[in-house]
Amino acid sequence: MISSDPKQVKAICFDRVHLEGQTGLEIARKNGAYKFLPTVLKDFDGEKIIDEVKKSGLRGRGGAGFPTGLKWSFVPRNTGRPTYLLCNADEGEPGTFKDRDIMRFDPHLLIEGMLMAGFALGVKDAYIYIRGEFLHEAQVLDAAIEEAYAANLLGENILGTDFSMNLTVHRGAGAYICGEETALIESLEGRPGRPRFKPPFPAVEGFYRCPTVVNNVETLATIPAILEFGGEWHAAIGVPNNTGMKIFSVSGHVNKPGNYEVPMGTSLKTLIEEYCGGLQHGTLPKVIIPGGSSTPWLTAEHYDTPLTYDAMMKAGSMLGSGAIIVMDETADVIALTRRLAHFYAHESCGQCTPCREGTGWLERVMNRVEAGQGCEDDLCVLSDAATHMAGRTICALADGAAAPILSLLKHFPDEVRARLMEKAA
Amino acid sequence: MTTLFINDEEITVSAGTSILEACREHGADVPYFCYHPELSVAANCRMCLVEVEGWNKPAASCCTPVGEGMKVTTQSDALSKDREMMMEYLLIHHPLDCPVCDQGGACKLQDYTMEHGAKHGRYAEAKRAVIDHDLGPFVSTCMTRCIHCTRCVRFADEVAGTGDMGVLNRSDHMRIEGIVEEALESELSGNLADICPVGALLDRPSHDITRPWEVTRHKSTCTQCPQGCDIVIESRGDEVIRIKADVDGVEPWICDRGRYVHDAFRAEERILKPAIREKSGFVEVSWDESIEAVVDLLKGKRVGIVFSPDWSVEGLASIRLLHDTVFQDAKVAFDLHRRDMRVFVFEEGFSMSSAQIADADQVVILGSDLRQRLPILMQGLRKRSNEGKPVIRIGAMNYRTNSELSADALIRPRDWVAVIARAMQQLKDLGKTAAGMDAWLEKVEVRHEAGKLLADALLSDSCALLVGEEIRSHIDAAVLIHGLDLMMRAAGHAEAGSDGRNLIPEGMNTQLLSAAFGDIRASVGDLFDAANDGDLDALLLIGSDPLGDGLFSMQAKRAMGKVPLVQVGAIMGEVSEFADVILPAAAYSEVEGTFINMEGRIRMAEHPLCTIGEERPLWKVMMRMIQGFGKDVPVVDLLELRTRIEGFLPEMAAAWSTDDHDLCLSVARNRDADSISDGIEPAMSLDVVSRYSMYREGVWVRASSYLVEAGSIHALDDVLVHPNTLQAAGLNVGVCKVRTASGDFDYHIGVREDVAEGVLFIAKRGIAGDLSCEVMASLGGGQ
Amino acid sequence: MSGVEQVRFTEQRLSEINAVVKKYPAARSALLPVLHMAQKDFGYLSMEVQQLVADTLNLRLMMVREVVTFYTMFREQPTGKYLMEVCTNAGCMLNGANELVEHITKTLGIKVGGTTPDGMFTVTEVECAGACGGAPVVQINNEYHEKVDAAYMDAFITKVNASAEGDQA
Ligand SMILES: Cc1cc2nc3c(=O)[nH]c(=O)nc-3n(C[C@H](O)[C@H](O)[C@H](O)COP(=O)(O)O)c2cc1C
Ligand code: SF4
Ligand code: FES
Repeated sequence: MISSDPKQVKAICFDRVHLEGQTGLEIARKNGAYKFLPTVLKDFDGEKIIDEVKKSGLRGRGGAGFPTGLKWSFVPRNTGRPTYLLCNADEGEPGTFKDRDIMRFDPHLLIEGMLMAGFALGVKDAYIYIRGEFLHEAQVLDAAIEEAYAANLLGENILGTDFSMNLTVHRGAGAYICGEETALIESLEGRPGRPRFKPPFPAVEGFYRCPTVVNNVETLATIPAILEFGGEWHAAIGVPNNTGMKIFSVSGHVNKPGNYEVPMGTSLKTLIEEYCGGLQHGTLPKVIIPGGSSTPWLTAEHYDTPLTYDAMMKAGSMLGSGAIIVMDETADVIALTRRLAHFYAHESCGQCTPCREGTGWLERVMNRVEAGQGCEDDLCVLSDAATHMAGRTICALADGAAAPILSLLKHFPDEVRARLMEKAA
Repeated sequence: MTTLFINDEEITVSAGTSILEACREHGADVPYFCYHPELSVAANCRMCLVEVEGWNKPAASCCTPVGEGMKVTTQSDALSKDREMMMEYLLIHHPLDCPVCDQGGACKLQDYTMEHGAKHGRYAEAKRAVIDHDLGPFVSTCMTRCIHCTRCVRFADEVAGTGDMGVLNRSDHMRIEGIVEEALESELSGNLADICPVGALLDRPSHDITRPWEVTRHKSTCTQCPQGCDIVIESRGDEVIRIKADVDGVEPWICDRGRYVHDAFRAEERILKPAIREKSGFVEVSWDESIEAVVDLLKGKRVGIVFSPDWSVEGLASIRLLHDTVFQDAKVAFDLHRRDMRVFVFEEGFSMSSAQIADADQVVILGSDLRQRLPILMQGLRKRSNEGKPVIRIGAMNYRTNSELSADALIRPRDWVAVIARAMQQLKDLGKTAAGMDAWLEKVEVRHEAGKLLADALLSDSCALLVGEEIRSHIDAAVLIHGLDLMMRAAGHAEAGSDGRNLIPEGMNTQLLSAAFGDIRASVGDLFDAANDGDLDALLLIGSDPLGDGLFSMQAKRAMGKVPLVQVGAIMGEVSEFADVILPAAAYSEVEGTFINMEGRIRMAEHPLCTIGEERPLWKVMMRMIQGFGKDVPVVDLLELRTRIEGFLPEMAAAWSTDDHDLCLSVARNRDADSISDGIEPAMSLDVVSRYSMYREGVWVRASSYLVEAGSIHALDDVLVHPNTLQAAGLNVGVCKVRTASGDFDYHIGVREDVAEGVLFIAKRGIAGDLSCEVMASLGGGQ
Repeated sequence: MSGVEQVRFTEQRLSEINAVVKKYPAARSALLPVLHMAQKDFGYLSMEVQQLVADTLNLRLMMVREVVTFYTMFREQPTGKYLMEVCTNAGCMLNGANELVEHITKTLGIKVGGTTPDGMFTVTEVECAGACGGAPVVQINNEYHEKVDAAYMDAFITKVNASAEGDQA
């Protein structure tokens, strides 16, 4: 049970994930699922909900960290067109695996969060866009949704109120870019997932050109607790401007990889040493990628950085989706960079010149460099090609593709140079 | 309006304009590839980056709307580096084959490489090669050169409406692909080569023939349909290499008919020297000898003159001068599709501009295959449909438009009067009426429900009627047009400024034709019948080919077999087999002259191509003939000729004395032409409708090998009917007997749901073309 | 599937497709779900199947082609009975995924992307499977297998081969 005392809160999204049978409606309800929903439908209105969410300080958990209440307040009202709510369950950012656990262990939490968000925004049709590989998770959600329909928690006149909402699970089919919200919308419209330029923003013109809100699974799963205990309660968890709990997916060279929900502001070092059982080799990490593969690397120097959007920014990186990839002293950072370069070259949607051509170029140069067949000029090529794709494209994939390359060059130039020499040797 | 600063200069543009468009309007140079003013924004090339003060990264100007007080910079060191890098990204996979590429010299990639690119590329890895594909007879591809700007894909989707091009794969495996069979379906396919900024999509007919810097450009007017598009003819010496849309012209696109007809200019069928028929065939002779032969044949004879409406205004006027000086009593005819010679209340031509039609609340197409007839106008309607504005069609065939129609009704030609009556009744019941309406309505008993579509459209604030060939060639055309006119007046769509009456004409220059020939014109069919009946002694054909075009080929053939024929023209055609003398007249690309399109828009061709034989402008040929007949030559130069023309059409004076390119003539009105239905029941069960094909109709088209090839791709069955029609007659697909007033014929009959029930659709000229002259028919079992 | 046989959906499938279409504002949104169904029914998305999907949803073939070629889970070629997709992205790579791929391909005697001659196994490398906590991860016919090692894969392959032999006997 979530404590109403912010100091005592141990988990929000993961509060029930460990409970056996939690995917079934009956058990979920026994454990508090949909408990507060009738109150929301009866006593709250859109304005009040958005207000609470604003007060909570909740920032989007999908990667960009945009304030959720503010995003919802951008949705125009009474346009005569439907408003859509889309849950981003694409979870493709390398290193991220948190949304999967919410969906497979506590699907009703997500459904409840979507109902509340949908109620706040006047939504009639909502969709969960889940990555195609998560077939099992999609099936769990489908079963939960079916139960919810049967219990009048979805569909027409939910719980006897005027509010009606449909919810559909929509599977992607293998494209990282579909996690980008406008690509997700394109994909949901039955097209290749090529991001749209902004403006117009989805809040104004999204799914079928109608007002649309796209939120991450974790973001939506946080809503029920915020409404039950109040925005101020949530704002008291974590640190100012970086409030609440956050799930961190930790992988790589740690002894106990996995998902850990901790208060915002916990330090990287604490998370890794106290929760994840420390590094596999040695005591200091060689590289930490704090927010998924698209975020710039940190090194041991920043081991103490608090896990907040602001502190990570200050340290030169980003909190992103909270996917922490840890490398200890045994890591081959060049091989890793090459592998990530391959990832972005494979996943670029192909529309923007610098991303389409740049990602392929970077990969090919990295292939050579890793194989010890590089030359000094390659360093300049890598740096130029990466620098001029970032921030010059429709979406941020190109920035993500540049990050590992630029990080490698920034933190390990000597290691790269040494590898270049191998050919000569 | 929004005020912003571009390179410190304060400018004001309408709100919502993109930064790129604001820069273009104000002459600030911003490079771009994917942007195209006629296509949706894709923002994928990222070449158009600019800096906006206070923004932490450069902005793509094509997709960023202007903001109040925004400070935009288009030149800086950082931007130069960005552009250099953009070029480097684009060029890593681009082949270095500029010397053998048709686009070389007119290539954005090449130009920008010079302007923005680095001296050397640094890409040292493997290059991508992409397979080519077949996009029909007019476009060849070299896809390895593609820069993925997706202009072609957007063109196919948004303009051609075929959607047959797409983007396959992703990342740097992404490639553009077309689905062959469907690419051929676009009558606008030639534009693909023009919009491709690099050498990936190329003009196939001019492939590997010339380099852009070798050609001379001649502004001209296309006379291949009444749209009269502004074109640029590119030639090397006297050889036409290609025809393109004039970038400064009214319409951004031209159709394949107007574009690829150019090989006809040098076709074998060209008439380049005067010739007379001897036993052995044609013998080339001098101009003097040929004129003598003409005089021998025609002097003192009862002559019938049939001419094409597509000559220049000057040429057409000179035909009238020939008539007035030499053949005062001659019958004159020019419209190969008109059966009803009673005066039409609104004459041929448009009272609206294409832009006004695109903006109207409602557009109703009445009996026209608009995509074949006026492909560029249809493109405008497609654009309008894409924006969700209605386009309604009523007619005998569900002609493909490549766009969604908002409403559609299939009717038989004999139903028109009932359709109009139904609509008129609705207006009347709502208290909207016009003088003469009751009298018209009184004569029509039947009502057809399709009239509701028409009436509903008429009730909007602005309504454009596009009256097509099914009505224009109707035996009761005058009655139908009068009915339409009454309704347009009743609904308030006939006033100056909001006049929605548009009759799609036979060809160019209709405004002049009405003015210059209104008093002497005859029906083409009657004229040939007269020759056949011994009431005419000889025929003079001027550019017209009634055997290949129009509805009267059967009568024409009979008449030509009976009386001597003099042919004046640029292309031989089937009629030459009957000609006794042939005189060469210059092609439209070879004359200095004036052209008027269906909207009344006036264009002057001033820098023609050189002639390639002994052909002369038509007006000179006419003067030469007048001289041959021993008469005084009425005019000796273009100036004098134009003064004469001002006598018919005073408005032309203004056109010749200004540079105003927007000048438009108004359409002739005949208010007192109140034709009323005589209510006679049709005698046979089926109505005959003949197809108009842009790849088959017209003397120039039939002489163009490219268009003939395209025509063979677009062929349909000979004769088509609705399956129910065939079933009702108890017949099956195959050879059946077609019974008509002029006899019974065996034809292969196919079925198609697109044809209205009760209609016999003549789909293919040449085989079933002779049936076109029939109005009605019935079906019986085959041999 | 023989080449001449016309591909078509079963009646039941068609009614499922109709139900799916109803969940969206426009039919084209059903394209991904219907392609998933088609791939399940026909094994892979041949041109005929793509045409069938286009016809069923009343879309242009080109729209279907664009989608099929964009998404990696849609396959235009048949695969082995067991499609083994090994994640080799960061989390898995750091925990031995490359070595695992090498082991599997060596055991089966094929290259990455290849299929065993008996049509039983196809091995591919895929991007981050979203389960890095269980690295290295192998999806076998869309089922996740986590913390996989060489012994695990050997056991799996042995089991499959044994039951295949059993079938033949
Ligand atoms: C290349 C790229 C991939 C992304 N992938 C995901 C993803 O898998 N899941 C997700 O929730 N957000 C992803 N995002 C972020 C989304 O665009 C969007 O910001 C987010 O879904 C908004 O939800 P939130 O406000 O709740 O965070 C991605 C963004 C980019 C640029
Ligand atoms: S940055 Fe890359 S992934 Fe994003 S829209 Fe452009 S090409 Fe596509
Ligand atoms: S013109 Fe702006 S991105 Fe291409």
